[in-house]
Amino acid sequence: MEIPFIDTILWPIKWVVELILVAWHWLWTAIGLDPAAGLTWVLSIVGLVLVVRAALIPIFVRQIKSQRKMLEVAPQLKKIQDKYKGKKDQFSREAMSRETMELYRRTGTNPLASCLPLLLQMPIFFSLFSVLNNAQKGAAGVGPLSADLGKQFGDATLFGVAPLHDTFIGAWNAGGPWQVMVIAGLMVVLMTASQFYTQLQIMAKNQSPEAKNSPMFRQQRILLYILPLVFVFSGVAFPLGVMFYWLTSNLWTMGQQFLVIRNMPTPGSEAAKAREERLARRGKLTGKDTPAIEAAPETPKTTQRQQPVSKNRAKKQGGKK
Amino acid sequence: MTSVVTAIVLLPRNLAVLVLRGYRAVISPLYGDVCRYYPSCSAYTLQAIQQRGVVIGSALGLYRIIRCHPWAKGGVDDVPPLRRARYRLTPFGFVVAASHGKG
Repeated sequence: MEIPFIDTILWPIKWVVELILVAWHWLWTAIGLDPAAGLTWVLSIVGLVLVVRAALIPIFVRQIKSQRKMLEVAPQLKKIQDKYKGKKDQFSREAMSRETMELYRRTGTNPLASCLPLLLQMPIFFSLFSVLNNAQKGAAGVGPLSADLGKQFGDATLFGVAPLHDTFIGAWNAGGPWQVMVIAGLMVVLMTASQFYTQLQIMAKNQSPEAKNSPMFRQQRILLYILPLVFVFSGVAFPLGVMFYWLTSNLWTMGQQFLVIRNMPTPGSEAAKAREERLARRGKLTGKDTPAIEAAPETPKTTQRQQPVSKNRAKKQGGKK
Repeated sequence: MTSVVTAIVLLPRNLAVLVLRGYRAVISPLYGDVCRYYPSCSAYTLQAIQQRGVVIGSALGLYRIIRCHPWAKGGVDDVPPLRRARYRLTPFGFVVAASHGKG
């Protein structure tokens, strides 16, 4: 964090992160928790996650809404998919992606979340990292986190022995406390489990058959098993406080994903079928939720009687039809 | 001699290519498809850096990331093409001097 350029960019985000942390800390203290206890600060971190993720809900809802709107363009989407059916070479796939994206743009039905939510979360993560890092040295934050509070945050311990600023690797090198290593290890397990479950839910239940055949899907599946390694490495190097942020965020994603898969599944996926069955059992299926895509090119109804035609004319018309 | 100079000139962008390839292999798939554009922000930045070097390429990439927000319409958005390609790409994506004869 010695790069001044990055510090300048992060400054406002750090300021807000500190404000939210201090506000939650004040709240927990006000209802009678010990201001210097590790639990109080962990709950403040949990509060920070709640605020951040709640702020991102509108973006998420917007994404779900445009996913629903995608039903309207489903016939056009299917046309593109049929055009490239069975063509697995790189150029065909690229051309298909281009056409799909262009369709989304034209019809205003882009179902993708955009890169902003991710990008917003990363600086928050780094800010928390640097706030904890500074607190470890007993330094004040950039704003609402005074030197006293910063020192308190850095010194706060879980079970009286595991400081929130400590890392697994730090405890390892210093020969203790072993509790830090146990807590870090436990969190790695929980993080892996929650991420694994979330990913598995999406992949097993909330993907359309087309998506399941894409190379992206296979790549995602391989990654599912590499993921625990990533968590193990970061779990060793990150302070406990940062890990709590990450874990809570993961749990939030898991719950959010569960609700979405249950109530607004991707059309055509297994979750969508399960939802239809559930609704049908309760007699609530109105048919409004599941417009028949196949029935779109309906023949126009006419009140006119089909005129009898001579054999010769019928032949000619048949050729036209 | 010129090949050594070219290699040194291309070193920063090849390091950036390595970093971006790593990101695209390990971190990017964690989030699945999120980008509202084609090519995705990281693919766009990779191409921009390959064609124009770290400074201009990163600036182009940054500008693209800023445009990739939930209210953007998305769609196809390619790196503005160079008038003349001066280098060649390896299959991995490293930038090397164009082989002789092909120019």
